[in-house]
Amino acid sequence: MRIQVSRTGGFAGIARHGEVETSGRPDAAGWEALAEAALATGRDGPPAGVPDGFRYRITVGDRTVECADPRLSEAQRTLISRVLKEGA
Amino acid sequence: MQPRPNNGFQPVFCTIVPPHVLDKLSQADDPLLADPARRTLEADGARRHHRRVTALARTPRATRTSAPVPTKPHRTLYDCRHGTDLPGVKVRDEGDEPTGDAGVNRAYAGLGATFDLLLNEYGRSSIDGKGLPLIGSVHYDEKYNNAFFDGEQMVFGDGDGEIFLDFTLAIDVIAHELAHGLTQYTANLTYEGQSGALNESVSDVFGSLVKQYSLGQSAEQGDWLIGAGLLAPRVDGVALRSMKAPGTAYDDDVLGKDPQPASMDDYVETDEDNGGVHINSGIPNRAFHLLATALGGNAWERAGRIWFDVLTGGELAQDASFRDFAKLTVAAAQHRFGEGDEAEAVLKAWSEVGVPTR
Repeated sequence: MRIQVSRTGGFAGIARHGEVETSGRPDAAGWEALAEAALATGRDGPPAGVPDGFRYRITVGDRTVECADPRLSEAQRTLISRVLKEGA
Repeated sequence: MQPRPNNGFQPVFCTIVPPHVLDKLSQADDPLLADPARRTLEADGARRHHRRVTALARTPRATRTSAPVPTKPHRTLYDCRHGTDLPGVKVRDEGDEPTGDAGVNRAYAGLGATFDLLLNEYGRSSIDGKGLPLIGSVHYDEKYNNAFFDGEQMVFGDGDGEIFLDFTLAIDVIAHELAHGLTQYTANLTYEGQSGALNESVSDVFGSLVKQYSLGQSAEQGDWLIGAGLLAPRVDGVALRSMKAPGTAYDDDVLGKDPQPASMDDYVETDEDNGGVHINSGIPNRAFHLLATALGGNAWERAGRIWFDVLTGGELAQDASFRDFAKLTVAAAQHRFGEGDEAEAVLKAWSEVGVPTR
């Protein structure tokens, strides 16, 4: 399963993208459970953001949700942080 | 690592009704209106709202004469201790001695400088004109590369130390965030497309003006940079944005190149960043710089006054385009300074960046 995170906006307006391919990874189950939890609380359309807040697009397989700071669920925050850090 | 369990998770997008509307509804005499609004506010988990609504509902409405407009700021700083719960732990209230945390003290000073500029130069008490208390939170999240205004307060990250340093290091960044509050309480420019880029630009303008005001710099002496000192030493760049020369603030392997256009010829159409609000703000930013340096002297006195008049004058539409804004600056210059150098310089500044004023 491919997990992608795009971050746009922010004070600097600099976009970031990361993705992780979970298949073959020993921690795939953990990634996928985290991704499901993140999807469960997102919404399809653009969320109400705040001035200078980061906006995120999370794509898991063929499903995409959007969310924005500071109103992220714990699962979204954790997933975003891990994908942008570890993802290529 | 296993994901955290989802127990007790609160839906994050509870309402699309703005909190201030709910506040107003919750105080209505009609329980059909007041009760659901109050419940929504409470369910939001917005503790400050809850307290405020409860307090207001129990207090007789204040009369105009009983509440003089404050001429001193009321600042409160909080420490998130690297978590994401806002506002965090209170660490410095108005009048308290400086703490051992330089970030707290910088934010306190920056909010004070912004309050001073608004009051002393434009006669406005805080961002709402009624002395609204100013709230800031520092050390938000871990290695957080951002600062933002959440509609009620300013939030500052520490930066990751590799690309960005502490966001309280730049006074113009602190003032930029507070200026988002000023815009919210006045023209309330929609944060999307050209009106969003104007919202961003107004924050950069007042951010830069607060910096110049606090340093006693004239338009010629100001650096006209946003976020100078915020980039880590290894980054090739001087700041996050340049109002003087948009597109030249940084050019770095990791960060990329500053994407800001300097005129309408290079306006960027994009779906990202709410339609490029942090990108196309370069155009009105440069118009302001051109005006301020053409007039000379202290930028906040005439150029800043014209921008402030437009923002607070009541004629600027929420969905204003660059052209709408430019037209109003010409009218504001004529209204305040007559048919002279000021209005002429405003016309010339917009012309140079390719924004029509008719």
